[in-house]
Amino acid sequence: MNAIRRPPPPSHWILPWLALSFYLGLAGAPVMALGERELEEKVQAITVQLRCPTCQGISVKDSAAAFSRQIRDKVRRMVREGQSEQAILAFFVSRYGEWILRAPKKEGLGLVLWVLPGAAMVFAGGLIGYKLLRGSRGARDATQGEPAAQLTAEQRARIDRDLRRFEEQI
Amino acid sequence: MLRSWQFWTVMAAIGALTGLFAFAFTTDPKIVPSPLVGRPALAFALTELNSGERLGLADLKGTPFLLNFWASWCVACRDEARLLEAAHRRWGASAERFRVIGIAVQDTPDAARKFARRFGKTYFLALDTAEGDISLNYGLYGVPESFFVGADGVVRHKQIGALTAEVIENQVTGMLDTAKATQ
Repeated sequence: MNAIRRPPPPSHWILPWLALSFYLGLAGAPVMALGERELEEKVQAITVQLRCPTCQGISVKDSAAAFSRQIRDKVRRMVREGQSEQAILAFFVSRYGEWILRAPKKEGLGLVLWVLPGAAMVFAGGLIGYKLLRGSRGARDATQGEPAAQLTAEQRARIDRDLRRFEEQI
Repeated sequence: MLRSWQFWTVMAAIGALTGLFAFAFTTDPKIVPSPLVGRPALAFALTELNSGERLGLADLKGTPFLLNFWASWCVACRDEARLLEAAHRRWGASAERFRVIGIAVQDTPDAARKFARRFGKTYFLALDTAEGDISLNYGLYGVPESFFVGADGVVRHKQIGALTAEVIENQVTGMLDTAKATQ
């Protein structure tokens, strides 16, 4: 009598199948998530450099305005197309002018804006240092010098007179 | 008494500040220089809201035109709506020497049509794409904004904010005179 071969119960094959699917899912997920994350990081790195056209002092990255949303989408499309950060920024500068950049370019007049605050601080620091140095040197000279030698006989007599009067009052 | 170099440093600082304030108070913040002025107009492809007529930059070769960006939700666009229609009727509708083209941005076809009916707009009206391709290509800050393009296809003037009758008159007559002189 032939034994009837029954198919294995579902518990025998469903669990391995689920485990395999789960493993493959996990294995595939990081690849997809990393790609999207990298894309978003690039988009954010670019849009933070762009000024929101309809807001005051907010970057395109941080703005909820419709124009900013459209610019973010445009940047995302350009990054997906493989365009470089410089090319994307150049596109917006060619449409909006240098105004669209939140930081001035480090060339021409823009370079002056970068250098001026630092130069002003160095100048102010140097001026303060010079004044302090001169002040302390002046004080040292005043204590180390011979002021008595510069007094006239009349001034010396007056000082002596005043000191005597002061001592008498004590 | 200040020494001479100290005196001139203070004077230079006061002069620089005065210059900065003078520049700030005499400059209209609404006037933002556009890199597009003086350059050839950028390509666009439009479909008329009602008739479905197609229009591209190439179709406008040799004709001065006004590219007006507007929206049904824009309050300032109401102020210029009748002026644009008047310009279209005066220079465009019969003479065909000049065209007014309206591009609605961040809008829906129904809302744009309703606005057009309300203000009696009969000139060419179209919608920008949902992604705002034309708006971003023209470096829009908001609506309304207008570009006057000469017969040679070069952008002559950019207006941020609502147009006035004076600006339209000056720009259109200027462009028509130039076109006539070069013919």
